Amino acid sequence: MIERIIIRGYRRFDKLDLTPNPGMNIIVGDNESGKSTLLEAISLALTGKLNGRWAREELNPFWFNRAAVNDFFTKYGTRDQIAAPEIVIELHLVDRDELQRLRGVHNSLKLDCPGVLMRIAPADEYADEFKEYLHDNPPHILPVEFYDVDWRDFSDKALNHRPKELAASFIDSHTIRSTSGVDYHTREMLSEHLDSRERARISIAHRKLRQQITNDALSDINARLAAEHSSLHDRPIGLQMDQSSRASWEAGIVPQVDDIPFAMSGQGQQAAIKVALAMSRTAGTSTFVLIEEPENHLSYTSLTRLVSRIEGLAGDDQQLFVTTHNSFVLNRLGVDKLLLLHNGNTTKLTTLGDDTANYFRKLAGYDTLRLVLAKKLALVEGASDAIVLERAYRDRVGKMPIEDGVDIVSMGGLTFRRALELCTSLNRQAVALTDNDGHPMAEILAPLSGLLLEGKRTMLVSDPAKGPTLEPQICAVNDQELLRRVLGRTSRADLPTWMSNNKTEAAIRIFDSNEPIMFPDYINEAIALLR
Amino acid sequence: MNRLTLAVAGGRKTQSVVDDCLAAPKGSKILALTYTQNNQQELVSRLAPYRPLEAHVEVQGWFSFLLRHWVRPYLPARFPGRRLHGLNFDGDPGRFAKGEGKFLDSEGRAYKRHLAQLALETDQASSGAVLDRLSRIYDVVYIDEVQDLNGYDLEVLEALMASPIDLNLVGDVRQALILTNVRDPKKKQYKGINIKKWFEDHARRGDLEILHNSTTWRSNQIIADFADSIFDDSWGFSKTVSQNTVITGHDGVFAVSPEHVPEYVTRYKPLCLRYNANSAKSLDLPFINIGMAKGLGVERVIIGPTSGMINFLSKGKRLDDIPCCSLYVAVTRARASVTFVADNPDRLGLPVWMP
Repeated sequence: MIERIIIRGYRRFDKLDLTPNPGMNIIVGDNESGKSTLLEAISLALTGKLNGRWAREELNPFWFNRAAVNDFFTKYGTRDQIAAPEIVIELHLVDRDELQRLRGVHNSLKLDCPGVLMRIAPADEYADEFKEYLHDNPPHILPVEFYDVDWRDFSDKALNHRPKELAASFIDSHTIRSTSGVDYHTREMLSEHLDSRERARISIAHRKLRQQITNDALSDINARLAAEHSSLHDRPIGLQMDQSSRASWEAGIVPQVDDIPFAMSGQGQQAAIKVALAMSRTAGTSTFVLIEEPENHLSYTSLTRLVSRIEGLAGDDQQLFVTTHNSFVLNRLGVDKLLLLHNGNTTKLTTLGDDTANYFRKLAGYDTLRLVLAKKLALVEGASDAIVLERAYRDRVGKMPIEDGVDIVSMGGLTFRRALELCTSLNRQAVALTDNDGHPMAEILAPLSGLLLEGKRTMLVSDPAKGPTLEPQICAVNDQELLRRVLGRTSRADLPTWMSNNKTEAAIRIFDSNEPIMFPDYINEAIALLR
Repeated sequence: MNRLTLAVAGGRKTQSVVDDCLAAPKGSKILALTYTQNNQQELVSRLAPYRPLEAHVEVQGWFSFLLRHWVRPYLPARFPGRRLHGLNFDGDPGRFAKGEGKFLDSEGRAYKRHLAQLALETDQASSGAVLDRLSRIYDVVYIDEVQDLNGYDLEVLEALMASPIDLNLVGDVRQALILTNVRDPKKKQYKGINIKKWFEDHARRGDLEILHNSTTWRSNQIIADFADSIFDDSWGFSKTVSQNTVITGHDGVFAVSPEHVPEYVTRYKPLCLRYNANSAKSLDLPFINIGMAKGLGVERVIIGPTSGMINFLSKGKRLDDIPCCSLYVAVTRARASVTFVADNPDRLGLPVWMP
C-alpha cells in the first residue's frame, strides 16, 4: 500500500506530494493535467520500467520538467546558476512486516518506513562531458546520456529488478502495441498469473514441440540441403527451429476468450481480460493495479460490468489507481476516492461523508465530473434556468459563460446540499441559484449553512415577493408586451402559466430573442459573482 | 528464546544448523550467519540439495549482515547525509579518529575494524528501528562459529538476544582462533576462549540457554582424549566421546623424527599443518597454517610444532590461550592419526613412528 507519493521534476510535476487512499484512487483532471503521468511515475518507481523497457533505455529529455529545464539553461553561466534538473519519484509504503526489507531512512523526508525510489540525476563520471556540452551554447535540451538512473529501496539497496514483495499491473488504454499479439503489460500479468511449476511445464512442452518439428518436418529438407550445398560449403547447412530465448513460449502463447484469441477480441473485452488477470495474485505481495481510462472502447453495459470488477479489486492487499474522464466510473467507484489533478497539483477529498459517496453511487448517471472539473461553477435547478442564465450572462458580459470557464450545471436529480458538499470538500468556488417555491429565504438557506462561505460558495434565492419560480420572476421584471413578442404569445394567453407549462421552450425563445430582456436580481447577482 | 549449542570439534555443528533449517516450519524466516567464507559456502552447498525448503533460509556473512541490515538502512540517522559505499577491510582510521572519520573512509566505505560499533551506534541513532526492522524480517537467526566473535560483536549479540528474534548460537570455544576484530578493546576479558565466561554470564542472567554436545563423529577416542588434555581441567570441559571406531592400522597420536618425515608423508599422505608461516621452517612440507584448516576433516595430520607445543608435550607445560586453541584445532582435524615432528621424538611421551 502506497502511503505517500513524492514526485520532483518529472514531466509536469515540479513538486508533488500526494497521500493516496489505501484502496481505491480515482484520478481525474483536465486533459494534460498529468493523470497518465502520475500512473507512469508510480509504475516507474515500482517496476523500474516504462512500457516494458528499463528506465535507463527509455530515458529521454522530455521526462524532465519543462519549466525546471528552461530555468536551468537560462540561469546557466549567470550568477543565479542552479543545479542541473533531477527527477525523483518516491513511493512511501505502509509499515507492514513483509515490506521490512525495503525499510530505512533513505528518502527525501528521512522518514523511517519501507519504500522505493527512483532518482535520475547527472552521473558523476560524466561531469566533465556535461560541462563541455553546456559551454557549447546548446538548445534547451538536457543531455540524458550523461544522466544516471538510480533505483533503490529505502534501505539504500540498489534494485535491479522489481522487489518481489511488490507487484504492479498496468492496464493502459492503448490496445495492442506489439505485433506479437499481446502487449507487454498483459504478458507480464499473464506470466505472473502462472506459478513457476506451470511455467516450467509449458516451457518444456514448447521446447519439445520445436525439437520435434526440427526432427520431423525439417529432416527431409535438411537432407536435401546438405546434398545440394555440399559443394558450396564444407560443413552441412540445415534449418532448425529457433531454440534461443527469443523463441520462448511467452511469445507464442496468448490468452483467448471463447476460442477467440486475445488480439482478435474487442477492445472492451481485452480491457476486461486484463482486469481479470490483474485480480488474482499471490498472497503476501502488495499489489498495485494501475488502470488508465477504463471507459475507452466500452459500451455502457460492458463498462458497468468492468467497473463492478474493478470495485472488487480494491482491498487490503491491492491498491488501485484509476484515471478517468467518465462520471459514471467516478460515481460508481466512489466520489470520496477522488484525486483531482490540476496544474501538477492534487486535491484530495477528505471531508466527504460516506452517505454522500453512496448518494453519488446511486446517481451513477450524474455528470459529477463537470462539478469537479469546472473552473467556475454555477449550479441551477433545471435546463430552463441554465439557458436563461446563459442568455443573461451573454447580455451582461458579451460572451458565453463557457468561454470564461464558467460551467452552468443543472442539478438533475441532485440536491443542492450534496452538490455543495462535494464543492466544499474540493474547496471549489460555486454559485447556486434556486427558486424560492413560496418558502422564505431563511428556511431554504438554513440546512446549507455549514456549506456556504462568503466569496467562495454562495446560494442565491429568488425574491419571494416576485413569484415562486423563474417564470413569474421574469414576468415581474419585464414589460408584458415585450415578453409576448419574445415568446410569440398573443394577449389572450396568461404568460406565467404558459411559461411554467413550457419551461424549456420559453427559455429557448428567450435565449434566441433579439429583444432587450430584463432578468431578476438573483440572476444578475450570480453573474456579478461569476465574472 | 536464545540458545547456545557448544559442541566439540567434529560434533557436526554446521550439520545441526542445516538440520534445523530443514525441519523449520513452512513460512518461517531464517537467517544463518557465519564468519568465514568457507563456512558460508559449506552451509550454502549443504542446503542446496533440499531447495526449495519449507522455510525461507538465507545464508550471510557476519560483516555483510552488519552492513546490509544494521548500517546501510539507517546510516543517515547516525551521520546525516552519509551513505554506505561498501567495506574497507584492512583500513585503519588511526587511534585518534573521531566521529564520522572513525567509521567511514573518504569513499564512504565502513572500516571493518569499527563496523560492529558503527552498527550499534546506528541502531541507537535510529531509536531501535534497526532491530525492529530486523525482527520483522527474520524469526530465527543462527550464528555458526560464534566463538569467533569478540569485542563490539558481543554487544551486537546482546542486542539480538534482547530482541524478539530467536537467537541460535553454535560454536566451540576451544576453537576460538580467528577473531572478527583482533584489536577491538571492547570486552577484552571475553576474548578468544574466554568467550566461554561471557556465555556463562548470560546463562546465569537467564538470557541464554546453553546445551553441550560432547560427541565427536570425527576423531577416534585416542585423538579425542589427547585433544581434551590440551586444556587445563580448570576450564571445566567435559570429556569428549568419540563415535569413530574405525581401525586403519595407524591410529592415534605419534611422534616422528625429521629424517623419517619424507617416508611418513609418502606412506600416509597426511595434511601438513604448522602454527604460522614462521614455524617449522626447517621442514620442507606443503604446510598450511592451522587457522586455514578450520572446518576441515581429514584422515591424518602431521604437525610441525612450535617450541611451546614441544614443551607442552614433553614437560606438560601449559600453552597460552591462543596456541592452546590452535593445537586443539590442528589435532581435531584428523580422523585416524596425528603425528608431531620432533628432533627428539622419544621425549614427547608419544609412540614414535619409524619406518
